[in-house]
Amino acid sequence: MTTALRRLAGMAVTLVVASFIIFAAMYAAPGDPVTFLIGNPENLTPERIAAVRAEYHLDEPLFVQYWLWLSGAVTGDLGTSFQYHQPVAAIMSSRLPATLSLVAYAAVLFTVAGVGLGVWAAVRRGRVADSAVVGVTTLAASVPSFVVGIVLVSFFSVQLGWFPVTGAGEGFADRMHHLTLPAIALSVGALAIVSRVTRQTMVEQFDSEHVEAARSTGLAERLVVLRHVLRNAWGPIITMIALVIASMLAGTVVVESVFGISGIGSLLVDAINTHDFPIVQAVLLYMVVAYMIVTTLVDLLLPLLDPRIGSRVKTS
Amino acid sequence: MNISHRPRRTAWFAIAAGAAIALTGCTADGGDAPTAPVADIPFGATTPAASGPVDSVTWMLPAEPATFDFDIDSGAAENTVFANVCERLMAVQPDLTTVPHLAESAEWVDDTHVVFTIRPDATFHDGSPVTADDVLWSMQRHAAEGADESDEYANVTAMEKTGANEITVTLAQRDAIFIQAMAGNGGMVLNPRVVEAQGESFGAPGTPDACSGPYTLGEWKPGTSLTIEKAENYWDDSREVLASEVVFRWADQSAVVNALTAGEADGSYLDSPASAIPLQSVDSVALAQGPSTNAWVLLATERGALADERIRQALSLALDRAGIAKAAFGDLAEPSKTPIGSGAWGYEHDAFEAAYEALEGAPASPSASDLEAAKKLVAEAGAPDEPIVIASDGGSVRNVVSNALVAAAKSIGLEAEIATIPSAQYGDFYSDADLRGQADLFSDEYYISKNDPVGFYKNGASTASVNFVGFDDPEYDELVTQAFAATDDAERAELAIELQRRWVEATPWVPVTQSPSTVAYSSTLTGLPSSAAYLYYPWAADLGSAQG
Repeated sequence: MTTALRRLAGMAVTLVVASFIIFAAMYAAPGDPVTFLIGNPENLTPERIAAVRAEYHLDEPLFVQYWLWLSGAVTGDLGTSFQYHQPVAAIMSSRLPATLSLVAYAAVLFTVAGVGLGVWAAVRRGRVADSAVVGVTTLAASVPSFVVGIVLVSFFSVQLGWFPVTGAGEGFADRMHHLTLPAIALSVGALAIVSRVTRQTMVEQFDSEHVEAARSTGLAERLVVLRHVLRNAWGPIITMIALVIASMLAGTVVVESVFGISGIGSLLVDAINTHDFPIVQAVLLYMVVAYMIVTTLVDLLLPLLDPRIGSRVKTS
Repeated sequence: MNISHRPRRTAWFAIAAGAAIALTGCTADGGDAPTAPVADIPFGATTPAASGPVDSVTWMLPAEPATFDFDIDSGAAENTVFANVCERLMAVQPDLTTVPHLAESAEWVDDTHVVFTIRPDATFHDGSPVTADDVLWSMQRHAAEGADESDEYANVTAMEKTGANEITVTLAQRDAIFIQAMAGNGGMVLNPRVVEAQGESFGAPGTPDACSGPYTLGEWKPGTSLTIEKAENYWDDSREVLASEVVFRWADQSAVVNALTAGEADGSYLDSPASAIPLQSVDSVALAQGPSTNAWVLLATERGALADERIRQALSLALDRAGIAKAAFGDLAEPSKTPIGSGAWGYEHDAFEAAYEALEGAPASPSASDLEAAKKLVAEAGAPDEPIVIASDGGSVRNVVSNALVAAAKSIGLEAEIATIPSAQYGDFYSDADLRGQADLFSDEYYISKNDPVGFYKNGASTASVNFVGFDDPEYDELVTQAFAATDDAERAELAIELQRRWVEATPWVPVTQSPSTVAYSSTLTGLPSSAAYLYYPWAADLGSAQG
């Protein structure tokens, strides 16, 4: 119980510290939101600039501005977008589904394919299949995702017409259809990491004593792999998958742009370019929260898979 | 509002878009040359008339609309949609002339009074008539302190209902552009009952429009799409409304190009002529260009190296505009002698055109004698003590423009260098004197919303806020005052032409290229305007099928 409380308190502190750092960074970044708020250069008179600054509290010191934001944020009011003139929460909630379904789809793809390839390479370690998997995934990982995206779009969508070119689709089937190419583009880089980690941890297990012991009892190799090798390798694999998912939640910008998806990533880039502070603040905080949620889930999940991890925590 | 600046993409987005263009260019069917000759794209006010109606059309926007409350803010995306939904006192036509609309007439009765007579038969989408009270209410909303359109009402001292169908506007001084401004968003007539019922949320997703145009705002799914539908009870029987529904979606320009190539979208008014380059080789997509006021310019700052107008003239003479048009826009933009596009010629078109032809000092490509003249000017003025600094942001167009300027300077014996400013900060050149202290020139695509050169050349007055270099000519200032007072078109055109001549001579800003309005559309469609009128004119009503 106290562990849970301590954990929650830690997360709250992390959030406050992160939100302040983000706020201060935006405050210090070059560029003036007033230029965008007024828009017309012919209206950029000193009086108008001063009036707009006062209206948006941009003339207050950093700490006052932060306090205004924080006191709104704790009541659930994340502010109003400078650009859209709508509550930040409403804009976020209209953009989140596209990004979350994209990341979920990509996560399924790179987990299934990555673990599968990793297992295959580990079982065939030292043979052609092993080198092929390592070689191909490394090559794939070295191509930037926007290049993969552009190639996929121009071949499968524009040329062959198999997949839609833009948008995230509506309804489950349509969304899957729209997001297939973006999810592939997003997961190509992760494939190499996940398959490599899977292969490496499994190879280490193959050489360990308990696997030798299992083999000496005459257990079929397939069962040795499933029950003894893979089971003990899950820890690092799941940790790595979680970290990749967490970084994807913050890294969909390029793929969203190539595939014309209105998601969180494109929202963030637009907001940074227009100095839409309330949106930038909210999107970056969402990324911090997403990271915390994913890592917490992993911490909760791992002891279930490997009881040794839980007991170690208790005794120390 | 006169002009509005939308953020430009960061450099790496430009690179991504460039890569997309290159790739789609080689993979698209047909056409082996990635750039076809310019002559292939028709240039004019409108595309050939449609032969029949169409059902549903999918149209791409450069960005998702932010709000449809035009008194808060508006940009290209919002205007492209609401040109079809809302109506104004006056109306811009595809040829960029202005005609009466919800006002059946607009007359100057004396030096300071304009009378708008409101037509009796117009109705809002809820069926209620458009009354003089509604018009007055709308104008007062636009004129309110802080409203986005309030600059159009800067000279207005009073607005009153002076008859059942009559609004009289009193101005502090004659403002020849005021009536024309009422064809823009400052003249948009709103239904006060709808606006008041929505309160603070008016203009946000899920709220109805408050207008009288040929289309009504349908469903807006934030992040996904927005639909406008043909209004069932549109009051103006004389206007045939062809497209029955337009579904808008939005994406970056590279994705817009892909959607058009794949036939997933039926058309788009493109953000930049350069976006049309890869579409030239796509058979199923038609392209058209038309006049707009948009022009790329180099704005001189008060930093000092360009204080002598002879140095600015010399740079203007030596700048290779044709090279810029080719490198940055694939020859889909035009070298420009003036800092404003030909779309500004909303009246007395022939007079403006003849004056433009006669202009000197800003050649498409510098000839030997231009360079000779430029060198002479430099010799007379003496080279600046420090190198001329030009600001770029690493974006594709600004890179080309900056490099061309450096090359021009070198060709006439001047030193010049490029300073790179983050794109997120670039717009601050207009507001931040300290930033202007870091560069002698910055480049931008400038445009005005009213089709009148006077609306632009007022920026050369010694008191104008964007006259950074401090161009100061009392006669010019006097001409600006006279032009604003000249409600007779022929007289105003004459004054505007003189302002243009003096501007180009003094070169407070160096003209670079004109960006025509560029529309890409399915070759099964036609009828829509190709000029910049699409921002205010109900273009979807003219968009119909190309064959029987």
